[in-house]
Amino acid sequence: MRRAAAWRALRGAAFVALSAGCAGTAAEAPDYGSVPRWSSRALPEARGEIRTLTDGTRAAVRYRGWTTRDFAPYPTYGYDDSRREPPVERVTMPASIEGDAHKGRALFLSRSKGPCTACHLVPGDDVWPAGSAGPDQSTIGDRRLPDQYLYQVVWDPRVFFPNTVMPPWGTAGIFSAEEIVHIVAYLQTLKAPVAPEKSPERNPFTRPKPVGFGDNLDPTNNPAIVLAEDAEALWTARGASGKACSDCHEGGVARAMRGVAPRYPRFVKAQGRVMGVEDFLEVHAPATTGHAMPSESADNLSMTMLIKMQSNGMPVSVDVASPEARAALARGKATFYRRVGERNHACADCHTSERSAGKFLGGRLLADVRSGLTKHIPTWRTDRAEVWDMRKRFQWCMTPLGMNMLAADSIEYAELELYLTAFDNGKPLSVPGIRH
Amino acid sequence: MSDIGKVRLRVPSSIKAGDVVQVRALVIHPMERIERDAQGKIVQKNYNYINKVIVTYLGKTVATFDTTQNVAENPFFTFTFKATDPGQLKVQFLDTTGGRYEGIADIKFS
Amino acid sequence: MTEDHRISRRTALITLSALGVAAAGGLAAMPGTAWAQALGQNESVEDAMKRLFGGKPMRDGAASVKLDVPLIAENGAVVPISVSVDSPMTPTNYVKHIYVVADKNRIPVVTRVTLSPEAGRAFMGANIRLGESGDVRAIVEQSDGSLLAVKREVKVTVGGCGG
Repeated sequence: MRRAAAWRALRGAAFVALSAGCAGTAAEAPDYGSVPRWSSRALPEARGEIRTLTDGTRAAVRYRGWTTRDFAPYPTYGYDDSRREPPVERVTMPASIEGDAHKGRALFLSRSKGPCTACHLVPGDDVWPAGSAGPDQSTIGDRRLPDQYLYQVVWDPRVFFPNTVMPPWGTAGIFSAEEIVHIVAYLQTLKAPVAPEKSPERNPFTRPKPVGFGDNLDPTNNPAIVLAEDAEALWTARGASGKACSDCHEGGVARAMRGVAPRYPRFVKAQGRVMGVEDFLEVHAPATTGHAMPSESADNLSMTMLIKMQSNGMPVSVDVASPEARAALARGKATFYRRVGERNHACADCHTSERSAGKFLGGRLLADVRSGLTKHIPTWRTDRAEVWDMRKRFQWCMTPLGMNMLAADSIEYAELELYLTAFDNGKPLSVPGIRH
Repeated sequence: MSDIGKVRLRVPSSIKAGDVVQVRALVIHPMERIERDAQGKIVQKNYNYINKVIVTYLGKTVATFDTTQNVAENPFFTFTFKATDPGQLKVQFLDTTGGRYEGIADIKFS
Repeated sequence: MTEDHRISRRTALITLSALGVAAAGGLAAMPGTAWAQALGQNESVEDAMKRLFGGKPMRDGAASVKLDVPLIAENGAVVPISVSVDSPMTPTNYVKHIYVVADKNRIPVVTRVTLSPEAGRAFMGANIRLGESGDVRAIVEQSDGSLLAVKREVKVTVGGCGG
């Protein structure tokens, strides 16, 4: 594939400082040289591994029910992955293809492609749920924009808008040339007057913001609290070494663990890396009690919740001042702003108010990193009836964006989590949360 | 699921005689959904879900929920009762496999 | 057995252990199982309404029945719903049943709540499943046999990368 080859050519290129607008000042330029290698100890499905099947195809090892598609051609957040976003492609609309507005509309709404409607509103009662991350296109046909211009914008908008959050649909190979011709034909048909809205919910610009799921600390509302209680037995259970947590941490879990969690993720000298509670447990538990507690295992999640719950109400207070923390924060920030994956998105595209935070992506309101993404994590996910920690949330964010996920206990994720958690400093911890 | 059947009741901490009291009851339960085979046909089996919730107060039935698989996994139910005398409030959950789980709250007046 | 003092601020929590299947003794006599299976059937909402209420007239309950359900359900797997009815709840005038019906679900009937005057209020709440966007109805049967109905459309948002 032409593009994949071009990307491979970029591989191995020296690291370049990211643009000032993204990574901050030169003084904060991330240093990757001091980051140790880390062999994942997470559950096998949480390690981001790829295996080769008997027929030679490659398949990703992920959680049950997740896609196994291998996104090898696209950049990841791996610190050893030096690939950057694909070069901007300038294209000319093929004159030989007749645009079909009907087909274009179906493509615009297709969930297996974009869907474009996740960000753009267009007319039609079947458009649900449209998002507002991009401009309302209900009357774009009235703007008399040339077909060639619209074709280029859909193929690769970076030609005109270098900082856009819109994926380069043609460059990425998600839409073909013919499909984009159909989409352009459809867009040119969108003209005033727009039929009055039958329901204010259809329009993401007038749709009421969703309310939460009630009190996350009420055990009759949040099943995760009931599940976290399982860990109380773990606290006093003897592992293979004959010891239990309670043998060294005296006074019961409430006294022993109060005030511990708000300082995580933090740099752990003995391991030479930043660790969240989950990362620490998977190393510390087997080393002391002999109890295996791999990242993303039920025991690890329950124990993480139990430990964090002892500090509920206490302000988050991660270290942002030590040299190690500053270096990690600089790398975490670079990750947050770095474009990766088939869709060429950065975390910041959705989760900063300068870009799309506070707007709808489909029916979902995008959260703002500044208002806090971490203080309620791990959280109960009502749509899956599962407890998710930040790492699984990262892995889930990244999979639909077309990048191979990293190991749950990777240093990259730990430092990204530290960067996000720093925004929550001073805000009270409230675990477990409850989200959709 | 080792947690199946764990029950939590939420009752206001301060109740006065004659109050109409709202209670919420949660039970950890899979509430199995209908499955389909590769041909899209419904798999016929005895799906495990809660089909009855019985609320009794002072030994008398106050409210009953007859439920179907349209109730969510780990469901909660809210209801009210008129607190006339101190005594026992009991919520029983019955599932389609004969499972019976219950929660009891001792109603006292403050 | 644990106490959740640290969790609860406003409420007293009573935690309980599960009773095993063995404790199910005298339950065989209860009509629960057979009835509930009859309650939930794979049918159209029209058939369900006919089966449950025959041709009995239904009045618009907007004045006295409050159906509380989010207009947008961010996922259909867990949708909180509550129904409250203005009713004196006396032995001669009370709400006997509250039905919840989801028009677009394969099995439209969600629950039938049976109340006694001792409930003090005509109220129910639960978290339910909605297969897709559509009307949710609450049908109230009063002790004199009269029926009141209200409905609200709920838009179910399909998943994606958010959450």
